[in-house]
Amino acid sequence: MAAPRALTEFIAEANEILEVLGRELLVLEEAGASDPDPDRLNAVFRAAHSLKGLASMFGLETIARLAHRAEDLLDALRLGKTPLNQQLVDALSQTIDVLQIMLGEASRGEDSAESREQAEILGAELQRVALGTPGDAIDVLDQVGIDPQVRAVFTEFEEHRLRENVKKGVGLWKVRAVFSLDDFDTRLSQLNGRLKPLGEVISTLPSSQPGDDSSIAFDLIFGSARPEAEVEASLTEGAVLSPLTSQPLAALPPPPPPPAPKRRVPAWDDVSSGTGSAFAPGPFPSAPSTVMRIAPAPVETSLRSLTNTVRVDIGRLDGLMNSIGELLLIRSNIERIAEAARQVAGPSLPKLWGQELQREARALERRLDELQKGVLDVRMVPLGQVFDKLARLMRRLVRESGKDVMFEVSGGDVELDKLIVEELSDPLMHLLRNALDHGAERPEERLKQGKAGRATIGLFARQQGNHVIIEVRDDGAGLDEARIREVAVDRGIVTREQTEEMERRDLLNLVFQAGFSTRRDVSELSGRGVGLDVVKTNLQRLSGLIDITSRRHEGTTFTLTLPLTLAIIRALMVAVSGRTYAIPLNAVLEIVSVKTGELRTIERREVIEVRGQTMPFIRLARVFGLPEEQRAMHYVVIVGLAQQRLGLAIDELIGQQDIVTKPLSGRLRDIPGVSGATELGDRRAVLVLDIGALMEELLRPQASLEPRTAG
Amino acid sequence: MSSQFAALLDRFFYRPDEAVGPFLESAPESDRGAEAVPDETPEEFLAFVLDTETYAVPIGAVREILKVTVVTEIPRAKKNLIGLINVRGEMLPLYDVKMRLRLADTAPVVRASKDVGRAARVLLLKDLEGDAGILVDRVEGVVKLQLSRLEEAPELGIDRNAIAGLGRRDHQLYILLDVEQALS
Repeated sequence: MAAPRALTEFIAEANEILEVLGRELLVLEEAGASDPDPDRLNAVFRAAHSLKGLASMFGLETIARLAHRAEDLLDALRLGKTPLNQQLVDALSQTIDVLQIMLGEASRGEDSAESREQAEILGAELQRVALGTPGDAIDVLDQVGIDPQVRAVFTEFEEHRLRENVKKGVGLWKVRAVFSLDDFDTRLSQLNGRLKPLGEVISTLPSSQPGDDSSIAFDLIFGSARPEAEVEASLTEGAVLSPLTSQPLAALPPPPPPPAPKRRVPAWDDVSSGTGSAFAPGPFPSAPSTVMRIAPAPVETSLRSLTNTVRVDIGRLDGLMNSIGELLLIRSNIERIAEAARQVAGPSLPKLWGQELQREARALERRLDELQKGVLDVRMVPLGQVFDKLARLMRRLVRESGKDVMFEVSGGDVELDKLIVEELSDPLMHLLRNALDHGAERPEERLKQGKAGRATIGLFARQQGNHVIIEVRDDGAGLDEARIREVAVDRGIVTREQTEEMERRDLLNLVFQAGFSTRRDVSELSGRGVGLDVVKTNLQRLSGLIDITSRRHEGTTFTLTLPLTLAIIRALMVAVSGRTYAIPLNAVLEIVSVKTGELRTIERREVIEVRGQTMPFIRLARVFGLPEEQRAMHYVVIVGLAQQRLGLAIDELIGQQDIVTKPLSGRLRDIPGVSGATELGDRRAVLVLDIGALMEELLRPQASLEPRTAG
Repeated sequence: MSSQFAALLDRFFYRPDEAVGPFLESAPESDRGAEAVPDETPEEFLAFVLDTETYAVPIGAVREILKVTVVTEIPRAKKNLIGLINVRGEMLPLYDVKMRLRLADTAPVVRASKDVGRAARVLLLKDLEGDAGILVDRVEGVVKLQLSRLEEAPELGIDRNAIAGLGRRDHQLYILLDVEQALS
């Protein structure tokens, strides 16, 4: 059996293939049936083909079989034998979903009967779509390349006979016979009589290129499995044999794999090799060679992988990142030694060495910076990876919901740390489901409100400095403030008095509280017991923020703000009661100093005023229960998320530094207000503050700010 | 297709002398199930001192022994958590077990090596929930104890959940620490 590692790589590659497949399918669908881009079609076909090959290599027969069916269908589509229609796109996108499920199972070593059955049903469906309607058979005739003018005069029966002959795969000939007007009837029946034993005279037509005045020309369309020479020999005088081709070979789709009829009509295989020569240079690829039949795709390309990328486990990149972090520490140690040496009094050798060492340390720093950036770049992947999956999901959900919704996506090319992108798919899916389920109204209702009947749900991403902003926007019903207030009070999340003091924004944000859901009935789409609070928690884990804006009857927008990367962040190092803490710089708005006399209190809580805005003044030492010093002046780090502001009082500013945040292991996961730790030059662990969680904790309506002192 | 392929590979690489059947019978574990015999192989434990008592943990549970360097205190953490230590880039918790064992009323404040005795060490223990260090006053060394001769801790009227049993060797009492319990 295949080694687990190889299987993992297969799963990764197969997933990539499915992603490509899904993306191209969407493009094809958007372009509509009018004019599918042949390159696209080929790309999709190749993707399905590689998947089939890979799957069967790993003994995943169910996946291989389904991929095979998809390949057949795509092949038919590519060769223009099956029209691109809704039914086809639906079947294929369902196939992608099922394949993804099965891949997931395979990666866990499972193989559920349910998905196998689903694959079976889908396989049959794909086959049905591929066989299609009669339209498909006309395409077979297109392949033969009969002059359309000639075909126009065929009767339906003749056309049917011709089709049958094509399917049998016999050679098709045009016999042009020129007979004198005097005895053409006898001579024609004579010719017919001689041809009959060799095959079938499909049609006898007066030639479109008549002979001279005294003669009449006929075109006989003749199908025969016999070699050319034999047919030629049977001809009577005045008859000329030519292959029934009006199209040059080159007009056919270029790749040589045997077309779908080969699979649909097994008989083709049986006879084609015998008559291949008779048909050349006919439009069919004559008698596929044995090699071709085993591997019906371009052999030389299928051996190479689709892209020249190296797939790397993110854990290895983390390892590299850690090594770089260590190198940076060593560099700062060298710098320190160099500095010490340089301080040596008088012109001495160590002093010179110190200078030299310092120069080298700086060069090292530059290189390390490059290395760090390089590794970070490698971790970045386009959001499109998730957006494509979501677009496919939305398509399905919209169809199932029966609502009329347009789904817009932009910003799929914005890049984010791989870890973040992975973690984003669930929260985004939840928000989109919410938008569809709770936001978008039914067309009747929309029209009543004077809105366009078709609702729009959008998923947009853009980069803004060191952040990526993702918006999930709908133009639906909007959030009902009164209802939110009622529910929040009902569930005991806040008191009525509190809601009366709350700003609109804070009120809306109550929907993120655990146990909040305004919908009474549980819907099939989004009522799965997972609330927006989970979305928020997930985002906080990514050091991200979520904000909500909504107008009644105009729509709702969820705005997600995420850091570009989690691996290395720039942090502000501060000291509180002799302890050092790191505050991620992306949360820091500014740093001010205030005199103790400038502090005011509101309901005994300390506040400061910065540029006309009053905000809570929180002594970090007090929050952390550390001994506090009496001081006349405070440094205040103003941190902010969305519209919320908070001033954190600290004792000392140490400086800015790039830090590699390390998560705290299992037992330390639930330390409040701390997102991880990093190490400084002296190997000391320094806690990284989780500003989002701290603000949440300190600004919560019922948050108690009782002073806590060191125990 | 692949199973055929795998079978082919198997046949190709298989050598009859790789068959392990005959060896299994003489393998050391195969007499398992018999009652503990007098010549039982003793297990190795790492013995250490907490206050005035000597404790021990199975040597397999110990990842390494470290000197106390810098410890970062964690605000608002559980009382028995002394702080965070940096073990070659890995951030691990350092716990106090004396409180759990009623050897002390409060956890010590340790921020650097000067806060502990010269003999004090960190025992890094392997644990499913994530490796963790415990602060000990001194490491005694490796001691061999026979599993079959371990005693249960006597009823002392106090919670002794963190004690897995007692071992004796040459008049020295070893209190076996239940690591999982001691850290909770």
